[in-house]
Amino acid sequence: MKTIPLPIPTAKSKKHSWQAIIGLLFALLVIGASLYAFLYLKHDHTLTDLRGRLQGASALHPFGTDHLGRDVMTRLLLGGGQTLGYSLLALGAALLIGIPFGLIAGYKRGWVDKLFMRIADAFLAFPDTIVAIVLSGLLGAGIGNLVLAIVIVKWVSYARLVRSTVLSESQKDYIRIARTNGLSDGRIMRKHLLPHIAGHVLVLASLDLGKIILLISSLSYIGLGAQPPTPEWGAMLNDSRPYFQSRPELMIYPGLAIVSVVLLANMLGDYLRDRFDVKKEVQP
Amino acid sequence: MFRILLRKFLEVFIFLLFIMFVSFLFIRLAPGDPVLTILNVDELSVSQEQVEAVREEMGFNDSLPVQFGNWLLDFVRLDFGVSYSTGQPVMQTLMRALPATAELTIGALLVMLVIAIPLGSLSALHRGSWIDRGSRMLSIVGAAVPSFWLGLILIDMFGVRFGNLPTMGRDGFTSLILPSLTLGLAISSVYVRLLRSSLLDSLSQEFVRSARARGVSEGRIFMLHAFRHSLPPVITVFGVSLGSLIGGVVVIEVLFAYPGIGKLVVDAIRQRDYPLIQGYILIMAVVVFLVNTAVDLSYRYLNPEMKLKEKEAHR
Amino acid sequence: MILSIEELSISSRDRTIVDQVSLAVREGEFMALVGQSGSGKSLLSQAIGRLLPPNLHASGRVMFEGSNLLERKPKEMRALRGCHISYIFQDYQGAFTPFRSIGGHFDEYQKVHGEKSSAIRKKRAEEALESVGLGAELLRRYPFQLSGGQLQRASIATSLMLSPRLLIADEATTALDSVSGHRVLELLARKQAETGCAILFITHDWRHVRRYASRLAVMKEGQIVESGGKHRILDHPQHEYTRQLIEAAPVLNRSLKSGLKEAGTE
Repeated sequence: MKTIPLPIPTAKSKKHSWQAIIGLLFALLVIGASLYAFLYLKHDHTLTDLRGRLQGASALHPFGTDHLGRDVMTRLLLGGGQTLGYSLLALGAALLIGIPFGLIAGYKRGWVDKLFMRIADAFLAFPDTIVAIVLSGLLGAGIGNLVLAIVIVKWVSYARLVRSTVLSESQKDYIRIARTNGLSDGRIMRKHLLPHIAGHVLVLASLDLGKIILLISSLSYIGLGAQPPTPEWGAMLNDSRPYFQSRPELMIYPGLAIVSVVLLANMLGDYLRDRFDVKKEVQP
Repeated sequence: MFRILLRKFLEVFIFLLFIMFVSFLFIRLAPGDPVLTILNVDELSVSQEQVEAVREEMGFNDSLPVQFGNWLLDFVRLDFGVSYSTGQPVMQTLMRALPATAELTIGALLVMLVIAIPLGSLSALHRGSWIDRGSRMLSIVGAAVPSFWLGLILIDMFGVRFGNLPTMGRDGFTSLILPSLTLGLAISSVYVRLLRSSLLDSLSQEFVRSARARGVSEGRIFMLHAFRHSLPPVITVFGVSLGSLIGGVVVIEVLFAYPGIGKLVVDAIRQRDYPLIQGYILIMAVVVFLVNTAVDLSYRYLNPEMKLKEKEAHR
Repeated sequence: MILSIEELSISSRDRTIVDQVSLAVREGEFMALVGQSGSGKSLLSQAIGRLLPPNLHASGRVMFEGSNLLERKPKEMRALRGCHISYIFQDYQGAFTPFRSIGGHFDEYQKVHGEKSSAIRKKRAEEALESVGLGAELLRRYPFQLSGGQLQRASIATSLMLSPRLLIADEATTALDSVSGHRVLELLARKQAETGCAILFITHDWRHVRRYASRLAVMKEGQIVESGGKHRILDHPQHEYTRQLIEAAPVLNRSLKSGLKEAGTE
């Protein structure tokens, strides 16, 4: 029992507002960059020009060219779409699978729940990276398999979160009343439970986003993810390795890009967590 | 407690068996002729008879059930076959590479402890000070930095420009420095923040004030009471983030060409060397099981409540 | 005069919580400090032992055994705490660290105060437990294994083990039911008779202490509004607030508030 609380001045309220701005900025940046790249860029990112390779910054190529003469800026911007796109894809699929599972398991209980827990335990036994490696090994390296691996591993944590939230909400009166009033299970799950779990799930998802981005770029770097000539940032870093003596910027730009995006995603996640005031259950 | 251990082992084992079975299927049914893969690696141009001979020898001509039966038999006898690429027995190859991975992992963990414990503790003890704010900002940024990028930068700085630490291979103690540093730095951000918040929580507990009111020194309170109380959440996160650690080891090994099992398996994947991949999976399953067991045991040690409740349940 | 608080003020960055309070506790007496929550009485008691949270600042003088506690070095304060000045807090569960045995706590406190012989430490721990009516086998148990009542008594045993000269009980009976509360007070009174220590008992309800206290002080919003002998204050309160406090807590029987029988009855 606490008797004297420590009156620490609330820097939190300040933190809230500028984190919110950053989160918003992040979203806008991503959308803006991808749109821009899609609509306006003059260079074809796969067009190689071996005579113009490894050039520094210039008017034509604001970020220079890479080892095959391709425009770096184009590749960077498109790479953002790639990295982020695949990450969101993985996240979305994991949510799409995990949420229904969690809802049903948590709400219906009984043998469905028991079965789910067994499956979940089995899936949890293996760390995500191993599964990614295994799938790459079996199906061949490629970004699709990587996304699949991530989905296979991640859906469980969302399902569990949803399940435990549903369990605690089901005890509450508003659910009991809905049930006694004859609402179908499906309707209860969709209209009443879903909004409540949305907050928790959103927090976990945004915290995971950064991790997934890092995972995709790491594995692409070692060749197990995006394959050339895809302009994915991790893969670009791999290409830059032999040249970092002469053209270190080839290594710096994609790296900075990754750091910025992940940082923004993490800050968004932190902000959401503070806002929804969800505590340790959401810790990865 | 033994029963729980046994049950966990069985769970992992069954899952493992399942994976192995799936991989077995894939080898037989996957796109691409495994035989050509095997021979391709040798870079020989082969004749049709040779292909047939190898196919017969490796048992690819037998019916599926027979192949599966043979495979099971081999598995039970702990015979994991021979690597497609090196021709060496799989387990031998993996075991030889294991010490390197172990060194790297231990080195990285040491770096992490050296960074996280002081920073986390100082942050908690001097909440709001510049150390606290500085380390928190560092860990937020650090969590966003990909380990391999950090590695590249460190290689550039200390391997090429400002020093000549070895950046490839395994050649004595110095070649362990850069890889361990990279991986250790990469994983420490999470633990700095975690330790800080866990300590802050422990330090605000009533029993800390009680100890202080009895005249116990701050140092003693911190080390023997508060710090120990902060450990369980940190250990939990460690157990859960084992996946990232393993992944990190793989990436770092590839980056620094450090001859551990991570690098081995990545090469194996590129060459479709299935037996080796299978062997790697098996080893990883054992590792995961061991680590999870160690985590559980540590809970029991740190929290006598669990240990004694267990004993009473069994009496 | 074992403890003399002189013009003690406690303030945070924005406001003053305790304002120029003076209070004296005599040797061997049972002094009650009464006030509502928020009056600052707990902070006052913590300030004596220099246990205030880091964002609060105390000024003034707290004279104990001839020296101003607010000016003593941390190391000296540590030697005093638990040995010369002991505390009992409201939360008995919180008196013990969850993963250490009860005996481990007794042992640690003695070690910290310089008792080098483990045999003596063990013996003293056993005696301390017995003096509060608990068996020595509890030393091997962990806090979660003790009942609430056992924890109360064990925690009091740790406070009294080294025979402090001043015992500060901060809302020690507030969380207990009446029967347990009275038992604790009985225990404290008995200890006082045995060892001659002074007790500063802090509470929000004067009924707890009317049987045991000899002197009372009433605190409101950071200031002492009235203090003096128990009978005088309870039967003839001078300050309006004291009167309100007494009115708010009616007594069941027909004697005077302080426990004396009214002249003319029986």
